[in-house]
Amino acid sequence: MLRCLTLTSAAAAMAMSSAAASAQDLAFVTCPIVKDTPSVPCWLTEYEGELYYMGVQSDVSAPFNPPWLGHKALVEGTPDPDGQRICGGIVLEPVRVSVMPEMSPECDTVLMAEPGYVLPFEPRRPPGPSSGSLAFSPPPPPPKPEPPFEVRSFDIHFAFEGSVNFQTPRLLQEVLDYARDVGAKRLEVTGHRASVLLSDGRVLEEREGIAELRAQQVGRMFDGLVPGLEQVDINSSEATEPGDWQDRRVTITVYPGQTGS
Amino acid sequence: MKHSSRILTLAAGTALAALAFQALQAQEPPAAAQQAAEANEAIPNGGRAWWDPGEGTPLARMVEYDNEHGRLRLYNTSGDVETDGHPFFEPLGPNGRACVSCHQPADGMSLSLRSIRERWEETGGKDPIFAAIDGSNCPNLPQGEEASHSLLLERGLFRIFVPWPPKDPWGEGTIEPEFTLEVVRDPGGCNLDPEYGLESDKPMVSVYRRPRMVANLPYVVHRNFGIGPFVGKTGEPALRDPENGQPVNMNLMADARAATLGLQATDAANNHLQMLEGLSDEQLAQITAFERQLFAAQVHDNGAGNLLLGEGGKAFGPENLAHGDIGFLGNNTTRWVFPVDESWAQPQAALSDEQNAMRASIRRGQQIYHFRTFWIKDSMHLNTVGLGNPVKRTCATCHGMHMTGLDTANGWMDIGTTNLPWAREVPLNPWTEERELMPLFRITCRNDVPPHPFLGRVIYTQDPGRALISGKCNDVGTIVMQQFRALAARAPYFSNGSAANIREIIDFYDRRYNIQYSEQEKVDLENFLGTL
Repeated sequence: MLRCLTLTSAAAAMAMSSAAASAQDLAFVTCPIVKDTPSVPCWLTEYEGELYYMGVQSDVSAPFNPPWLGHKALVEGTPDPDGQRICGGIVLEPVRVSVMPEMSPECDTVLMAEPGYVLPFEPRRPPGPSSGSLAFSPPPPPPKPEPPFEVRSFDIHFAFEGSVNFQTPRLLQEVLDYARDVGAKRLEVTGHRASVLLSDGRVLEEREGIAELRAQQVGRMFDGLVPGLEQVDINSSEATEPGDWQDRRVTITVYPGQTGS
Repeated sequence: MKHSSRILTLAAGTALAALAFQALQAQEPPAAAQQAAEANEAIPNGGRAWWDPGEGTPLARMVEYDNEHGRLRLYNTSGDVETDGHPFFEPLGPNGRACVSCHQPADGMSLSLRSIRERWEETGGKDPIFAAIDGSNCPNLPQGEEASHSLLLERGLFRIFVPWPPKDPWGEGTIEPEFTLEVVRDPGGCNLDPEYGLESDKPMVSVYRRPRMVANLPYVVHRNFGIGPFVGKTGEPALRDPENGQPVNMNLMADARAATLGLQATDAANNHLQMLEGLSDEQLAQITAFERQLFAAQVHDNGAGNLLLGEGGKAFGPENLAHGDIGFLGNNTTRWVFPVDESWAQPQAALSDEQNAMRASIRRGQQIYHFRTFWIKDSMHLNTVGLGNPVKRTCATCHGMHMTGLDTANGWMDIGTTNLPWAREVPLNPWTEERELMPLFRITCRNDVPPHPFLGRVIYTQDPGRALISGKCNDVGTIVMQQFRALAARAPYFSNGSAANIREIIDFYDRRYNIQYSEQEKVDLENFLGTL
C-alpha cells in the first residue's frame, strides 16, 4: 500500500462548517464539578455564576462522556430554553465536553449527595452491575450501498486537542463498512485543526501538528481491514478559523474500486 | 475403577499419599466422607510437592494441592498428561529449567514465594530457578549469594529485560519513545551495568516481575466480547496473531508484548530457558495444547469446607471454569463475574455452624465485589475511557470478565502498583536497615506530546510497564491485569509482588482509592478472594 503525506498550509482546503457560536449557545473553559447522588453521579459546571448540568456517569456507549477532575474542560452546549434543571444545574443539551490536556489540580470539587434527591429519570446504567447490555445501542447500520458506487466523504470528529481514542473505532465503523462494500482501492484522509470562538469572545486554538497527527493515526487504522485497498493518501491542514466542534475532524474520502457493475 | 487405574500410574510417593488419604477416609468417617465427596476423582498429594524439570511424573487428570486457605484443584480436560518428554516439563535449555520450573502445579501454575524460599533452602541456591540470567538481580553479581537473588527471594520477582528503545511491532527498526528514561535507583545493578544496562552495546531495561499462572488460559486469550481490530481503551490497532491475522486481546503478559501463547512460549524459551535453537513447531504445539486444556481453582476452604457443596456455587472449582462461558462480560445480572447465589450461602445441614458462618462471609465478600461502590480516580486507561474521573463504580467494573475477574477488553491500566506516589516504597530511615529493592526510573515526557493526564510530564516508576513496549507516555506504569483464580496458591501479588498476601491486596486498594472498607468488609472480601 502506498501512503503519501501532503501537508497543505493554505486555509482554503478547510471548509468551515458553521459560523461562530450562536447567541444562545455557550462555549467556555472551566473546571467540571461532580455531584454525588444515591445512584450515579451528576456532572456539572459553572459559568458566569450559573450552574449547568452536563450529564451523568453511564458507560462507554453513552453519547456523553464525563470530563475529568484535575483538568479543565471546554464545554460547548445549548442551555435548555425552559431552564430545566437536573442536580441543580440548567441542562445543557446538546453538549460536547473536551478535557483540556494540561493538569489543573484546582479542579477538584466533589459535591455530596443531597439526602432525598432523586434523579428525574432512571439512569440507564447503575453504578454497579448492568442488566446485561450496554446502556446505549449504536444506531442501526445504513443499508448496503447499491452500484453504481459513489465517491463518498465521512467526517470523524474529535474533542478539542484530541486524536484517536476509545471512541474512534466506533465512529470509523461506517467508513470501514462502506469501503469494504464498494471495494475501495483508494482512501484520502485529511486531518484538520480547529479553533473555537468562546462565549467571552476569546478564541481557543488547537496546538499545531494536531491535524497531521489525526490524519496519520486515522489513516493507520485502515491497515489490513479493507481487502484490495491499495492507497491511503494522508493530508492535513493546520490552518484554522474560529468555529465550533464540527471543525475538529478528519475527513475520509472513499474512492470505490469501480463505480458500477 | 478409573480412579484405581490412574493411581497405578502415579509415582510411588504420590501413590502412597493417595493410599494414606484412603486410610484417613476409613479412620474418620464424617470428615473423610465429605472430603472424598468433594475430591471426586481428584488425586490428593497430601501436602505440597515441588515439580522438578524432567522428573517424568504423570500429571493426573485431576490433582489437588493444599495451601494456606484450603485446597486447589487442577483439572486437565484432555485427561492425564504424560510429562515424560513433554516440552512443558522437560529441561530444554542449558540452565536446566523447564516451563514447569516457574509454573508449578502446587502453586496454581505460578510460583509462590514460599516455594522459592523452600527451593533456596533445599538446594543451597542451586535450583535452576535461581539461574543467573533472570533468577538473580543481575547476571554479573556473584551467584549463590542471597543478596544477589534478593528480588526473587524476598518478592518472588524474575528479571525481565527488554530492548530500549522498543522494537516496532509493525515493522523493522525501533519506536521513537515519547519520553526519556533515566535510572534514578538501581539496587540490582543491572540497569547501570556496562554489559546489561541502558548504556551497553545492546541497551536493555531490566524490570522485575512475577510469573503469571498458566491455567484457565482460554479466558486469558479469548477473542470474544470487547476484542476487535482496535484496542478498546485507546483506539490504537491491536496486535494480530501472525498465523491467521486475527486481532488478539493482548492480555497474556504484564506488558502485552506477546500476542499469542506460541509467541509467549517462544519468548520464555529464548529468555528464561536460554534455548539457543528455540522451540520446534511440534514443541510449541504441545506446550500451547497443554496450556489451553488446563484449569485451576480452589475447591476446599479451610473455614467453609467443600466449596462445591450445595446449589448455586458455580463460581467454584476448575470444572465450572472449564465449562463456563469464555470471554463474556460478567459485571451484570445475567452472568455475574463470580456467580455465587444466595442459596449457596444458606446454612447447609452437612456443615458445622462455623463452616456455615464462613460461607455467609464468602457470599458477603462476593456481594461487596459486585456492589460496593467507591470512587476510582486518576487511573490511566480506566478513567480515560468515557466513564469520567472519578467514576463511582465497583471492583467488578474493571475485573469484569465472567469467571476470572480479568478485563474482557485489552486490559492494561495504571492503578499505582509501580508508579509513585502509590507504589510500595521502603521509607528511608537512619534507624532501620531495610532498603528498597526495586529500581526507580525517571520518565520525562517530551514537550511535543501531551503530558500524562494524571501524573504530568515527570513520572517516577519502578516499572514503566506497557510503556517499555509502546513508548507512550500514557502507558507508563500500566500493567495488564491478572486473573483472580488460585490466589490462595500463589502469593505474593501484583506484577511486582508488592502485596504479600490477599489482605495486602485489599489494603492497597483501600489506600489507593480511599474506599474506607470496614474491617468486616475486608474480612469478607479476603475470605471470598481466598476461595477462587
